[in-house]
Amino acid sequence: MEDNFKISTHAGEVPRMGVNPNVSRRTFLTWFMAGLMTATVVAGLLPIVVYIWPPPTKGEKNADVKVSLDKPLSELKDGDAALFKAPDNTAFVMKDGGGDNAPGDRAYSGYVVKKGADLIYLAVNCSHLGCSVNFNKDRHQFECPCHGSIFSMTGQVTHGPALVALSHLSCKTEGDGALLVAGITSTPPGG
Amino acid sequence: MAIPTPRMVQLAVVDWLDSRFPFTETVDEALTQRVPNFANAFYYCFGGMTFILIVFQILTGIFLAFYYVPDAAGNPAPAYTSVKFIMDDVYLGWLIRGIHFWAANLLIVMIVLHMARVYWTGSYRAPRELNWIVGVVMLLIILIFSLTGYLLPWDTKAYWATSVTIKVSGSPPPIPLPGIGVLDIGGVIKSVLQGGPVTGPATLQRFFAIHVFLLPAAILLLMFVHFRLIRQHGISEPL
Repeated sequence: MEDNFKISTHAGEVPRMGVNPNVSRRTFLTWFMAGLMTATVVAGLLPIVVYIWPPPTKGEKNADVKVSLDKPLSELKDGDAALFKAPDNTAFVMKDGGGDNAPGDRAYSGYVVKKGADLIYLAVNCSHLGCSVNFNKDRHQFECPCHGSIFSMTGQVTHGPALVALSHLSCKTEGDGALLVAGITSTPPGG
Repeated sequence: MAIPTPRMVQLAVVDWLDSRFPFTETVDEALTQRVPNFANAFYYCFGGMTFILIVFQILTGIFLAFYYVPDAAGNPAPAYTSVKFIMDDVYLGWLIRGIHFWAANLLIVMIVLHMARVYWTGSYRAPRELNWIVGVVMLLIILIFSLTGYLLPWDTKAYWATSVTIKVSGSPPPIPLPGIGVLDIGGVIKSVLQGGPVTGPATLQRFFAIHVFLLPAAILLLMFVHFRLIRQHGISEPL
Protein backbone atom coordinates (compact mmCIF):
# COMPACT_ATOMS: atom_id res chain seq x y z
CA MET A 1 0.00 0.00 0.00
CA GLU A 2 2.85 2.34 0.87
CA ASP A 3 4.16 2.04 -2.68
CA ASN A 4 1.18 3.89 -3.91
CA PHE A 5 2.15 6.93 -1.91
CA LYS A 6 5.84 7.06 -2.78
CA ILE A 7 6.86 10.13 -4.59
CA SER A 8 8.47 9.02 -7.79
CA THR A 9 11.30 11.46 -8.03
CA HIS A 10 14.84 10.27 -8.42
CA ALA A 11 17.38 11.61 -6.01
CA GLY A 12 18.86 14.81 -7.20
CA GLU A 13 16.39 15.21 -10.02
CA VAL A 14 15.07 18.68 -10.47
CA PRO A 15 11.24 18.67 -10.39
CA ARG A 16 9.96 19.57 -13.82
CA MET A 17 7.26 22.04 -14.55
CA GLY A 18 3.78 20.51 -14.55
CA VAL A 19 4.78 17.36 -12.67
CA ASN A 20 2.79 16.86 -9.49
CA PRO A 21 5.10 15.00 -7.09
CA ASN A 22 2.06 13.76 -5.13
CA VAL A 23 0.74 11.66 -8.05
CA SER A 24 2.89 8.63 -8.80
CA ARG A 25 2.98 6.97 -12.19
CA ARG A 26 1.16 3.94 -10.71
CA THR A 27 -1.62 6.06 -9.18
CA PHE A 28 -2.12 7.84 -12.46
CA LEU A 29 -2.24 4.62 -14.48
CA THR A 30 -4.68 2.82 -12.16
CA TRP A 31 -7.07 5.76 -12.23
CA PHE A 32 -6.61 5.93 -15.98
CA MET A 33 -7.55 2.25 -16.33
CA ALA A 34 -10.48 2.67 -13.94
CA GLY A 35 -11.58 5.63 -16.03
CA LEU A 36 -11.44 3.56 -19.21
CA MET A 37 -13.48 0.78 -17.61
CA THR A 38 -16.02 3.26 -16.28
CA ALA A 39 -16.28 4.80 -19.75
CA THR A 40 -16.96 1.33 -21.19
CA VAL A 41 -19.73 0.64 -18.68
CA VAL A 42 -21.24 4.09 -19.24
CA ALA A 43 -21.17 3.52 -23.00
CA GLY A 44 -23.10 0.30 -22.45
CA LEU A 45 -25.68 1.91 -20.18
CA LEU A 46 -26.07 5.11 -22.18
CA PRO A 47 -28.62 3.64 -24.63
CA ILE A 48 -30.83 2.78 -21.63
CA VAL A 49 -30.56 6.33 -20.26
CA VAL A 50 -31.35 7.71 -23.70
CA TYR A 51 -34.30 5.31 -23.96
CA ILE A 52 -35.93 6.29 -20.68
CA TRP A 53 -35.69 9.99 -21.54
CA PRO A 54 -39.23 10.89 -22.65
CA PRO A 55 -39.44 11.86 -26.33
CA PRO A 56 -41.20 15.08 -27.34
CA THR A 57 -44.90 14.56 -27.92
CA LYS A 58 -46.18 14.77 -31.42
CA GLY A 59 -48.26 17.88 -31.87
CA GLU A 60 -51.86 16.99 -32.60
CA LYS A 61 -54.65 19.46 -32.77
CA ASN A 62 -58.33 19.23 -33.52
CA ALA A 63 -58.96 21.08 -36.72
CA ASP A 64 -61.21 20.87 -39.71
CA VAL A 65 -59.60 18.87 -42.46
CA LYS A 66 -60.05 20.22 -45.96
CA VAL A 67 -60.69 17.52 -48.55
CA SER A 68 -60.88 18.09 -52.28
CA LEU A 69 -63.41 15.88 -54.01
CA ASP A 70 -62.62 14.15 -57.29
CA LYS A 71 -66.02 15.13 -58.66
CA PRO A 72 -68.07 18.22 -57.75
CA LEU A 73 -70.99 17.58 -55.41
CA SER A 74 -73.42 18.92 -57.99
CA GLU A 75 -72.53 15.99 -60.25
CA LEU A 76 -73.37 13.47 -57.52
CA LYS A 77 -76.62 11.75 -58.52
CA ASP A 78 -79.46 11.01 -56.14
CA GLY A 79 -78.80 7.61 -54.58
CA ASP A 80 -75.09 7.70 -55.31
CA ALA A 81 -72.11 8.01 -52.94
CA ALA A 82 -68.57 9.33 -53.36
CA LEU A 83 -65.51 8.28 -51.39
CA PHE A 84 -63.15 10.87 -49.94
CA LYS A 85 -59.88 10.27 -48.11
CA ALA A 86 -58.06 12.16 -45.37
CA PRO A 87 -54.80 13.74 -46.65
CA ASP A 88 -51.46 12.72 -45.09
CA ASN A 89 -51.04 13.53 -41.36
CA THR A 90 -54.76 14.11 -40.91
CA ALA A 91 -57.66 11.99 -39.70
CA PHE A 92 -61.40 12.44 -39.50
CA VAL A 93 -63.16 12.15 -36.16
CA MET A 94 -66.41 10.22 -35.86
CA LYS A 95 -69.41 12.14 -34.53
CA ASP A 96 -71.22 9.09 -33.20
CA GLY A 97 -70.98 5.33 -33.39
CA GLY A 98 -71.41 2.00 -31.68
CA GLY A 99 -70.01 -1.49 -31.90
CA ASP A 100 -66.40 -1.23 -33.05
CA ASN A 101 -66.78 2.52 -33.56
CA ALA A 102 -67.14 5.17 -30.88
CA PRO A 103 -67.55 8.94 -30.93
CA GLY A 104 -64.09 10.47 -31.20
CA ASP A 105 -62.58 7.46 -33.00
CA ARG A 106 -60.51 8.20 -36.06
CA ALA A 107 -61.51 7.43 -39.60
CA TYR A 108 -59.27 7.85 -42.60
CA SER A 109 -61.93 7.83 -45.30
CA GLY A 110 -65.58 8.72 -45.59
CA TYR A 111 -68.52 8.61 -47.97
CA VAL A 112 -70.74 11.47 -48.96
CA VAL A 113 -74.17 10.11 -49.86
CA LYS A 114 -76.83 12.02 -51.76
CA LYS A 115 -80.35 11.14 -50.76
CA GLY A 116 -82.96 13.43 -52.19
CA ALA A 117 -81.94 16.93 -51.25
CA ASP A 118 -79.81 15.75 -48.28
CA LEU A 119 -76.13 15.00 -48.11
CA ILE A 120 -75.10 12.35 -45.56
CA TYR A 121 -71.52 11.96 -44.43
CA LEU A 122 -70.46 8.51 -43.17
CA ALA A 123 -67.15 7.05 -41.98
CA VAL A 124 -66.07 3.96 -43.95
CA ASN A 125 -65.42 1.85 -40.84
CA CYS A 126 -67.78 -1.10 -40.48
CA SER A 127 -69.32 -1.14 -37.01
CA HIS A 128 -68.60 -4.88 -36.72
CA LEU A 129 -64.79 -5.06 -36.81
CA GLY A 130 -63.71 -1.90 -38.59
CA CYS A 131 -63.18 -3.04 -42.19
CA SER A 132 -63.76 -0.42 -44.87
CA VAL A 133 -67.22 -0.81 -46.39
CA ASN A 134 -67.76 -0.48 -50.16
CA PHE A 135 -70.67 1.31 -51.83
CA ASN A 136 -72.68 -0.83 -54.21
CA LYS A 137 -73.97 1.56 -56.89
CA ASP A 138 -76.59 -0.85 -58.25
CA ARG A 139 -78.20 -1.77 -54.96
CA HIS A 140 -77.62 1.62 -53.30
CA GLN A 141 -76.16 0.05 -50.17
CA PHE A 142 -72.87 -0.30 -48.27
CA GLU A 143 -71.34 -3.78 -48.17
CA CYS A 144 -68.54 -4.92 -45.90
CA PRO A 145 -66.01 -7.15 -47.70
CA CYS A 146 -64.90 -8.89 -44.50
CA HIS A 147 -67.99 -10.54 -43.02
CA GLY A 148 -70.82 -9.47 -45.33
CA SER A 149 -72.53 -6.81 -43.22
CA ILE A 150 -74.85 -4.63 -45.30
CA PHE A 151 -75.88 -1.06 -44.50
CA SER A 152 -78.52 1.06 -46.17
CA MET A 153 -77.63 4.29 -47.95
CA THR A 154 -78.21 6.20 -44.71
CA GLY A 155 -75.92 3.86 -42.78
CA GLN A 156 -78.56 1.71 -41.02
CA VAL A 157 -77.90 -2.01 -40.68
CA THR A 158 -79.88 -4.17 -43.08
CA HIS A 159 -77.84 -7.35 -42.65
CA GLY A 160 -75.49 -8.61 -39.90
CA PRO A 161 -73.09 -9.47 -38.37
CA ALA A 162 -72.88 -5.72 -37.68
CA LEU A 163 -75.43 -4.63 -35.08
CA VAL A 164 -75.27 -0.84 -35.15
CA ALA A 165 -75.31 1.84 -37.82
CA LEU A 166 -72.26 3.36 -39.47
CA SER A 167 -70.71 6.43 -37.81
CA HIS A 168 -71.34 9.93 -39.10
CA LEU A 169 -68.74 12.59 -39.79
CA SER A 170 -69.25 16.30 -39.13
CA CYS A 171 -68.91 17.92 -42.51
CA LYS A 172 -69.44 21.26 -44.14
CA THR A 173 -69.28 21.83 -47.84
CA GLU A 174 -66.87 24.42 -49.07
CA GLY A 175 -67.95 25.42 -52.53
CA ASP A 176 -68.85 22.63 -54.85
CA GLY A 177 -65.64 20.60 -54.91
CA ALA A 178 -64.34 20.55 -51.34
CA LEU A 179 -65.40 19.51 -47.85
CA LEU A 180 -64.39 20.65 -44.41
CA VAL A 181 -64.42 17.60 -42.12
CA ALA A 182 -64.05 17.70 -38.33
CA GLY A 183 -60.77 15.93 -37.62
CA ILE A 184 -57.23 15.94 -36.33
CA THR A 185 -54.07 17.33 -37.88
CA SER A 186 -50.74 16.08 -36.60
CA THR A 187 -47.39 17.72 -36.93
CA PRO A 188 -44.30 15.51 -36.82
CA PRO A 189 -41.94 16.05 -33.79
CA GLY A 190 -40.08 19.29 -34.10
CA GLY A 191 -42.47 20.47 -36.81
CA MET B 1 -2.53 14.88 0.08
CA ALA B 2 -2.08 11.57 -1.65
CA ILE B 3 -4.75 10.36 -4.05
CA PRO B 4 -6.14 6.90 -3.13
CA THR B 5 -5.92 4.27 -5.85
CA PRO B 6 -9.01 2.42 -7.10
CA ARG B 7 -7.68 -0.67 -5.35
CA MET B 8 -7.78 1.16 -1.99
CA VAL B 9 -11.33 2.33 -2.62
CA GLN B 10 -12.32 -1.22 -3.50
CA LEU B 11 -10.67 -2.65 -0.36
CA ALA B 12 -12.37 -0.05 1.81
CA VAL B 13 -15.78 -1.02 0.42
CA VAL B 14 -15.12 -4.77 0.73
CA ASP B 15 -13.81 -4.33 4.31
CA TRP B 16 -16.93 -2.37 5.21
CA LEU B 17 -19.14 -5.16 3.84
CA ASP B 18 -16.99 -7.98 5.31
CA SER B 19 -17.23 -6.52 8.80
CA ARG B 20 -21.02 -6.76 8.57
CA PHE B 21 -21.56 -10.12 6.82
CA PRO B 22 -19.27 -12.72 5.15
CA PHE B 23 -19.31 -10.87 1.81
CA THR B 24 -16.03 -12.17 0.36
CA GLU B 25 -16.82 -15.74 1.37
CA THR B 26 -20.27 -15.61 -0.19
CA VAL B 27 -19.01 -14.18 -3.47
CA ASP B 28 -16.11 -16.64 -3.61
CA GLU B 29 -18.41 -19.56 -3.01
CA ALA B 30 -20.83 -18.39 -5.70
CA LEU B 31 -18.29 -17.46 -8.38
CA THR B 32 -15.13 -19.50 -7.82
CA GLN B 33 -15.72 -22.83 -9.43
CA ARG B 34 -13.20 -24.99 -11.25
CA VAL B 35 -14.40 -25.98 -14.70
CA PRO B 36 -13.32 -29.48 -15.77
CA ASN B 37 -11.34 -29.65 -19.02
CA PHE B 38 -13.99 -31.65 -20.87
CA ALA B 39 -16.44 -28.78 -20.32
CA ASN B 40 -14.31 -26.34 -22.31
CA ALA B 41 -15.94 -27.43 -25.59
CA PHE B 42 -18.20 -24.88 -27.30
CA TYR B 43 -21.25 -27.13 -27.03
CA TYR B 44 -21.10 -26.83 -23.24
CA CYS B 45 -21.86 -23.09 -23.64
CA PHE B 46 -25.43 -23.25 -24.92
CA GLY B 47 -26.95 -23.31 -21.43
CA GLY B 48 -24.96 -20.23 -20.45
CA MET B 49 -26.04 -18.46 -23.64
CA THR B 50 -29.65 -19.27 -22.81
CA PHE B 51 -29.11 -17.71 -19.39
CA ILE B 52 -27.55 -14.55 -20.86
CA LEU B 53 -30.44 -14.22 -23.34
CA ILE B 54 -32.98 -14.56 -20.51
CA VAL B 55 -31.15 -11.76 -18.66
CA PHE B 56 -31.37 -9.67 -21.86
CA GLN B 57 -35.10 -10.43 -22.06
CA ILE B 58 -35.72 -9.38 -18.48
CA LEU B 59 -33.77 -6.13 -18.88
CA THR B 60 -35.25 -5.10 -22.23
CA GLY B 61 -38.69 -6.27 -21.08
CA ILE B 62 -38.56 -3.99 -18.05
CA PHE B 63 -37.63 -1.05 -20.25
CA LEU B 64 -40.35 -1.87 -22.80
CA ALA B 65 -42.83 -1.77 -19.90
CA PHE B 66 -41.85 1.89 -19.37
CA TYR B 67 -43.88 2.77 -22.47
CA TYR B 68 -46.12 -0.20 -23.29
CA VAL B 69 -49.84 0.15 -22.43
CA PRO B 70 -51.67 -3.20 -22.08
CA ASP B 71 -55.01 -1.81 -23.22
CA ALA B 72 -56.82 -3.19 -26.26
CA ALA B 73 -59.94 -1.03 -26.00
CA GLY B 74 -60.66 1.51 -28.73
CA ASN B 75 -59.47 1.89 -32.27
CA PRO B 76 -56.56 2.17 -32.68
CA ALA B 77 -55.92 0.48 -29.32
CA PRO B 78 -53.34 1.95 -26.91
CA ALA B 79 -51.55 -1.42 -26.94
CA TYR B 80 -50.91 -1.02 -30.67
CA THR B 81 -50.16 2.71 -30.63
CA SER B 82 -47.78 2.38 -27.66
CA VAL B 83 -45.71 -0.25 -29.51
CA LYS B 84 -45.73 2.01 -32.56
CA PHE B 85 -44.68 4.88 -30.28
CA ILE B 86 -41.75 2.78 -28.97
CA MET B 87 -40.68 1.91 -32.51
CA ASP B 88 -41.12 5.36 -34.10
CA ASP B 89 -40.75 8.03 -31.41
CA VAL B 90 -38.92 6.79 -28.31
CA TYR B 91 -35.16 7.37 -28.50
CA LEU B 92 -33.54 4.01 -29.36
CA GLY B 93 -36.92 2.35 -28.79
CA TRP B 94 -36.43 0.33 -31.98
CA LEU B 95 -33.17 -0.96 -30.50
CA ILE B 96 -34.64 -2.05 -27.16
CA ARG B 97 -37.63 -3.73 -28.81
CA GLY B 98 -35.38 -5.20 -31.52
CA ILE B 99 -33.15 -6.80 -28.88
CA HIS B 100 -36.24 -8.16 -27.09
CA PHE B 101 -37.59 -9.58 -30.37
CA TRP B 102 -34.37 -11.15 -31.66
CA ALA B 103 -33.22 -12.43 -28.28
CA ALA B 104 -36.61 -14.16 -27.98
CA ASN B 105 -35.99 -15.93 -31.28
CA LEU B 106 -32.37 -16.80 -30.42
CA LEU B 107 -33.53 -18.06 -27.02
CA ILE B 108 -35.56 -20.85 -28.63
CA VAL B 109 -32.56 -21.79 -30.82
CA MET B 110 -30.20 -21.88 -27.82
CA ILE B 111 -32.62 -23.91 -25.72
CA VAL B 112 -32.98 -26.51 -28.46
CA LEU B 113 -29.18 -26.70 -28.88
CA HIS B 114 -28.70 -26.96 -25.10
CA MET B 115 -31.32 -29.69 -24.87
CA ALA B 116 -29.70 -31.55 -27.78
CA ARG B 117 -26.29 -31.39 -26.05
CA VAL B 118 -27.71 -32.68 -22.78
CA TYR B 119 -29.37 -35.51 -24.66
CA TRP B 120 -26.25 -36.28 -26.68
CA THR B 121 -23.93 -36.44 -23.64
CA GLY B 122 -26.54 -38.45 -21.72
CA SER B 123 -26.64 -35.83 -18.99
CA TYR B 124 -30.29 -36.60 -18.25
CA ARG B 125 -29.41 -39.92 -16.58
CA ALA B 126 -29.33 -40.63 -12.86
CA PRO B 127 -28.87 -38.72 -10.65
CA ARG B 128 -29.71 -35.78 -12.93
CA GLU B 129 -33.26 -36.72 -14.01
CA LEU B 130 -34.77 -34.04 -11.77
CA ASN B 131 -32.74 -31.34 -13.49
CA TRP B 132 -33.89 -32.63 -16.88
CA ILE B 133 -37.49 -32.36 -15.67
CA VAL B 134 -36.89 -28.82 -14.39
CA GLY B 135 -35.36 -27.97 -17.78
CA VAL B 136 -38.34 -29.32 -19.70
CA VAL B 137 -40.70 -27.30 -17.49
CA MET B 138 -38.60 -24.19 -18.24
CA LEU B 139 -38.80 -24.97 -21.97
CA LEU B 140 -42.60 -25.04 -21.67
CA ILE B 141 -42.50 -21.74 -19.74
CA ILE B 142 -40.41 -20.16 -22.51
CA LEU B 143 -42.93 -21.40 -25.08
CA ILE B 144 -45.78 -19.82 -23.08
CA PHE B 145 -43.65 -16.64 -22.93
CA SER B 146 -43.47 -16.72 -26.73
CA LEU B 147 -47.20 -17.32 -27.06
CA THR B 148 -48.28 -14.54 -24.68
CA GLY B 149 -45.65 -12.08 -25.91
CA TYR B 150 -46.79 -12.55 -29.50
CA LEU B 151 -50.21 -11.04 -28.72
CA LEU B 152 -48.95 -7.92 -26.95
CA PRO B 153 -48.28 -5.68 -30.02
CA TRP B 154 -52.02 -6.11 -30.79
CA ASP B 155 -51.56 -5.85 -34.54
CA THR B 156 -53.36 -7.98 -37.11
CA LYS B 157 -50.73 -10.74 -37.06
CA ALA B 158 -50.78 -10.89 -33.24
CA TYR B 159 -54.58 -10.92 -33.05
CA TRP B 160 -55.20 -13.63 -35.60
CA ALA B 161 -52.29 -15.80 -34.48
CA THR B 162 -53.79 -15.79 -30.99
CA SER B 163 -57.29 -16.40 -32.35
CA VAL B 164 -55.98 -19.52 -34.09
CA THR B 165 -54.05 -20.66 -31.00
CA ILE B 166 -57.11 -20.29 -28.79
CA LYS B 167 -59.26 -22.12 -31.33
CA VAL B 168 -56.75 -24.99 -31.43
CA SER B 169 -56.54 -25.13 -27.61
CA GLY B 170 -60.33 -25.19 -27.45
CA SER B 171 -60.68 -28.07 -29.86
CA PRO B 172 -60.85 -31.06 -27.44
CA PRO B 173 -64.36 -32.48 -27.80
CA PRO B 174 -66.83 -32.44 -24.91
CA ILE B 175 -66.86 -35.60 -22.79
CA PRO B 176 -70.32 -36.94 -21.95
CA LEU B 177 -70.60 -37.91 -18.27
CA PRO B 178 -73.55 -40.33 -17.92
CA GLY B 179 -76.09 -39.05 -15.43
CA ILE B 180 -74.21 -35.80 -14.73
CA GLY B 181 -74.03 -33.95 -17.99
CA VAL B 182 -71.29 -33.01 -20.41
CA LEU B 183 -67.73 -31.94 -19.53
CA ASP B 184 -66.75 -29.38 -22.14
CA ILE B 185 -62.94 -29.43 -21.74
CA GLY B 186 -62.33 -27.40 -24.91
CA GLY B 187 -64.81 -24.76 -23.80
CA VAL B 188 -63.18 -24.46 -20.39
CA ILE B 189 -59.67 -24.07 -21.85
CA LYS B 190 -60.95 -21.53 -24.36
CA SER B 191 -62.75 -19.42 -21.75
CA VAL B 192 -59.77 -19.46 -19.39
CA LEU B 193 -57.32 -18.42 -22.12
CA GLN B 194 -59.67 -15.86 -23.60
CA GLY B 195 -61.02 -14.36 -20.37
CA GLY B 196 -64.40 -13.88 -22.03
CA PRO B 197 -66.64 -14.97 -24.89
CA VAL B 198 -64.39 -13.49 -27.60
CA THR B 199 -60.67 -12.83 -28.16
CA GLY B 200 -60.51 -9.20 -27.08
CA PRO B 201 -59.21 -6.72 -24.52
CA ALA B 202 -59.72 -9.23 -21.68
CA THR B 203 -57.45 -11.69 -23.51
CA LEU B 204 -54.69 -9.11 -23.90
CA GLN B 205 -55.00 -8.13 -20.24
CA ARG B 206 -54.39 -11.66 -18.97
CA PHE B 207 -51.73 -12.50 -21.56
CA PHE B 208 -49.88 -9.37 -20.42
CA ALA B 209 -50.18 -10.34 -16.74
CA ILE B 210 -48.93 -13.86 -17.52
CA HIS B 211 -46.08 -12.52 -19.65
CA VAL B 212 -44.72 -9.92 -17.23
CA PHE B 213 -45.68 -11.16 -13.75
CA LEU B 214 -46.35 -14.90 -13.60
CA LEU B 215 -43.80 -16.37 -16.00
CA PRO B 216 -40.73 -14.26 -15.04
CA ALA B 217 -41.25 -15.20 -11.39
CA ALA B 218 -41.63 -18.87 -12.31
CA ILE B 219 -38.60 -18.99 -14.58
CA LEU B 220 -36.32 -17.15 -12.12
CA LEU B 221 -37.24 -19.64 -9.42
CA LEU B 222 -36.67 -22.62 -11.70
CA MET B 223 -33.37 -21.18 -13.01
CA PHE B 224 -32.16 -20.94 -9.41
CA VAL B 225 -33.16 -24.58 -8.84
CA HIS B 226 -31.53 -25.60 -12.15
CA PHE B 227 -28.20 -23.99 -11.24
CA ARG B 228 -28.19 -25.26 -7.65
CA LEU B 229 -28.74 -28.78 -8.96
CA ILE B 230 -25.85 -28.39 -11.42
CA ARG B 231 -23.60 -27.32 -8.51
CA GLN B 232 -24.84 -30.32 -6.57
CA HIS B 233 -24.18 -32.86 -9.33
CA GLY B 234 -21.24 -31.22 -11.07
CA ILE B 235 -21.03 -30.95 -14.85
CA SER B 236 -21.70 -34.37 -16.32
CA GLU B 237 -18.81 -36.07 -18.10
CA PRO B 238 -19.21 -36.88 -21.77
CA LEU B 239 -19.83 -40.50 -22.76
